Amino acid sequence: MRPSILAVAAVAATSLALGACGTGDADETSSGNAASGSLKTGPGVDAETKTIRVGDLNALSGPAAALGKPVVAGHQAYFEALNARGGIDGWKVELAVEDTGYQPQQHVQAYNALKNDIAILNSFGSPTTKAIQPQFQREKLVTIPASFDSIWGTDPTVAPVGTPYSIDVANALDFATDGGAKKLSVGIIYQNDEYGADGLRGFEAAQQAFGFADAGRQSYKPGDTDFTAQVQKLKAAGADAVVVTALPSATGPIVGTAATLGFTPQWILQGPSYIEQLITEDGTSGAKPTPVAAALKGAIVTSFSAPWASQEAPGMEQLVADQKQYAPDQTPSIYFALAYSQGMVVEQILRKAIESGDLTRDGILAAKENLGEVDLGGITPAVTYTPEGGPPSRQTLITEIDPSVPGFLKVVEPAHSSTVADTIDIAA
Amino acid sequence: MRRRLLLIAVVLLTLALPFQLGTSALTTATFVVIAAIGATGLNVLTGYAGQISLGHAFFLAVGAYTGAKLGEDLGWSAALWIPAAGVVAGVCGALVGPLALRLSGLYLAIVTLALVFVGQHVFFNAESLTGGPQGRTFPPVVIGPFDFSAGQVLHLGGLRIDHNGLYYYLALALLAGATAWAWNVRRTRTGRAMVAVRERELAASVMGVDIRRVKVAAFTAAAFMAGVSGALYVSYLSFAQPGEWSLLLSIQFVAAVIVGGMGTVAGPLLGSAVVFALPTLLKNLPFLPEEAAGGVSVSDLSSIAYGLLIVAFLVLQPRGLVGLVNQPKEAHS
Amino acid sequence: MTEFLQLLFQGVSLGATYALVALGFAVVYRSSGVINFAQGAMLLLGAYAISWLAVDLGLAFALAVVAATVMLALGGAALHMLVLRRVVGQPTFVLVMITIGVGIAVTHGVEVAFGPDRRLLGDPWGSSAFEVGGVTINTVKVWGIAITALALAAYFAFDRYTRWGLAMQATAADEEATLSVGVPVRRVHAATWALAGALATLGGLFLAGFPGAPQPALGDAALRAFPAIVVGGLGSPFGAVVGGVLIGVVEVLTSGYAPESLGMNFYAVAPYIAMIAILLVRPYGLFGARPVERV
Repeated sequence: MRPSILAVAAVAATSLALGACGTGDADETSSGNAASGSLKTGPGVDAETKTIRVGDLNALSGPAAALGKPVVAGHQAYFEALNARGGIDGWKVELAVEDTGYQPQQHVQAYNALKNDIAILNSFGSPTTKAIQPQFQREKLVTIPASFDSIWGTDPTVAPVGTPYSIDVANALDFATDGGAKKLSVGIIYQNDEYGADGLRGFEAAQQAFGFADAGRQSYKPGDTDFTAQVQKLKAAGADAVVVTALPSATGPIVGTAATLGFTPQWILQGPSYIEQLITEDGTSGAKPTPVAAALKGAIVTSFSAPWASQEAPGMEQLVADQKQYAPDQTPSIYFALAYSQGMVVEQILRKAIESGDLTRDGILAAKENLGEVDLGGITPAVTYTPEGGPPSRQTLITEIDPSVPGFLKVVEPAHSSTVADTIDIAA
Repeated sequence: MRRRLLLIAVVLLTLALPFQLGTSALTTATFVVIAAIGATGLNVLTGYAGQISLGHAFFLAVGAYTGAKLGEDLGWSAALWIPAAGVVAGVCGALVGPLALRLSGLYLAIVTLALVFVGQHVFFNAESLTGGPQGRTFPPVVIGPFDFSAGQVLHLGGLRIDHNGLYYYLALALLAGATAWAWNVRRTRTGRAMVAVRERELAASVMGVDIRRVKVAAFTAAAFMAGVSGALYVSYLSFAQPGEWSLLLSIQFVAAVIVGGMGTVAGPLLGSAVVFALPTLLKNLPFLPEEAAGGVSVSDLSSIAYGLLIVAFLVLQPRGLVGLVNQPKEAHS
Repeated sequence: MTEFLQLLFQGVSLGATYALVALGFAVVYRSSGVINFAQGAMLLLGAYAISWLAVDLGLAFALAVVAATVMLALGGAALHMLVLRRVVGQPTFVLVMITIGVGIAVTHGVEVAFGPDRRLLGDPWGSSAFEVGGVTINTVKVWGIAITALALAAYFAFDRYTRWGLAMQATAADEEATLSVGVPVRRVHAATWALAGALATLGGLFLAGFPGAPQPALGDAALRAFPAIVVGGLGSPFGAVVGGVLIGVVEVLTSGYAPESLGMNFYAVAPYIAMIAILLVRPYGLFGARPVERV
């Protein structure tokens, strides 16, 4: 065999064939659409069995599994409870879960597997969701991300449920400094990735607005085990309050190291920095406290969901009841609660689409954009979706760590907002 | 004659693949072929020249960011930025080559590991190029009238090829080129010199082999192919963060080369198929339930199985998949 | 000044842990020429074993540590006998890949068995600390340094003064010759891996101590110890210890004093840069031996 001649022949043939062509746009809207009676249906909608399929690309393994598992549990519990109540006007919701291990490559593969069979999508994680964004944007598939990156407010196909990190930090600092009245020295320690960068953005906006003394911005890499230097610098700068934009595996050592060094500022923890297992052995109330629990008492947490079983959130009662029935092994978890609210949002979007008789991709997208305000029973701050886009919420749920209550979070202010937060440009 | 027919059948099957597979499987196949390009390069370095390198992720990254800079920031055509990605990565490889002269064996392995970490540090901090920790988008392949972005379709005769298929064929063509080159190199003086360096470096140098040239050539070739592979990978993925270029990625490539069969021609593709497609395959085995006993998900188990499979493979058949096929005849490497 | 001393102490404490990890690497490398990429996974397993015995089973902590050490020693020996013994004679990278595969399987196995959340270690020291001249010293870290020093002393005594230690040295130097004089080389190898397992348990214990906790990401710390073994010289146990402490100190001091111009979190790569610098001058590390080659 003479490879060179073969190769040349192959190339010649291919170029001749392709010579006159180019690529063209795929016609997307015609795929999978049908009309059943007066209701138009699209991919993922089965009019015969009255089932709507909802995709869920999640992290059940890998580095984010501790966060992803309660999210899936929350989705499952919500939709099972919904179906038991009769569904949405008789339409049942079927959840299709795929584990992508927080890896963009797996996420893209799984997305391709699901996309033609689902009407709406849940997607976990920032880098993973960004990897599929060009596709779902094109395919007009409404996507609910489990991530609070500010960027989601700029894409109409995305329905974030929750306040962006940057706005949370700004609101928290507004609260801590009483709108700038208290002259505090504030520092921040953040994880060196986009999540941390978003928290930093909120910190900077607040700093500019309130002019508090900047006690330094310390960063760390995920995987670090020693935080002495960062804590020392914050201590040396005399920080009265420190914002922590981290993950629990770092929050523990940061706060613990500070306590050891005799440094006890007002900690302001960004939502994902906190997890119930930081307070007790397995996150439940009766269990043994961890060594860092004492140092965390009184810390402020900008929780993205209300404290477990909180009396102040009317929706909590149903949530706990559904959890007991459909996810009995689940321990109190802010991620479960978040996922539960996401389920509520999905239900509202689909309900509106059904009412307007259009369950195609376009119809569901239109329903989402014109949904207006959605009351989530206080479990998370209410979200608002409009055609103009923007962050779904500019309010922050401010809580304080109190080891004596279930879930260990005590509500301080259910919906704090501030002018600073309103000025943050999320598209920047 | 039979081997030739088998080869033709395999080639035809590979060409027809996009029309046989569903979109998800095609996506996986495309990632595998793209990775195989990089694995072919590593095969030259490790399989032929015997140099251990854990730094492959670094060269993939260099290719990726070169492609991004030229393709997206400067708007060049893919016909330019794909080779450019290879060239820039290749130059980096040529610079690393001389390190291999002073260090050997596992010392070299750990220094190449350092390359990955120092590289990641640079990538995390070079925000204008890499987008910093947030990451950045990468350009789709655009060559003249052919646009490979999501949503574009090529109509060829009666055939309809979507963007997954387009990337697949492009990667396949590049892989064919890389494989042809690697197969050919083995028969040249440089190739034989590489094998000599691998077997007995001291003896080779005594016999007049220019060790420096050989090692630099091996590193350059490996880095070039890694650069092309990396650029294509992020183009297909469309978005990536600096955290992508980790030690784990390097290890996956080394695993692919070894599992496939070090120093063989078909090894890189077979090994890439195992390493990069296996986790997905294990998760999607049709007869496994979603939740195994005790609330343990299948995906957790598949990760364990992945590690065990690598071990089992290497213990039972260290000559890799190719060795499995060639069992009856003694392979001369 | 107290800041510097505080950082120095933290650095030495971290370095002690790295020294344990590095010693585990060095011991294995010396006798079989393999870098055990599964050491991080063994660290993880060791920490979880202690946690399980002390917290779930309620054993006294000292007993839990001893039991866990024994368990991992047996595990290491089993790994050698079941897996590695079958691949004698294969090229080094095959062996390295096998340890990588084992590492992956064990790390995920731990996560499957215990879940992804952090756990309690169950140690009696918790967050207790005391002050010496303005420097705050965590009790757990003092224990860490002390036990590391003891373990190292014990290892060196074993190496130099016992027959098994002598056998290990001989096997490392020339396996065939050692075999021919009647030393049970296979058992020596198994013992080496058992030792690696035991050292990993101790390393895991202190890495998971306050303010850390047993969690799935613990194994990644072993990667940070790589520069330690190279700096010290592969296969030199003494070098591993020196390298470990050096790297720990470099990492923490750099985090305290590195200028911003070097990039954020420069301290994470500083050990690797230090390693490259040292290798350029001494290609076999500070204490490594240049292998004798015959044509």
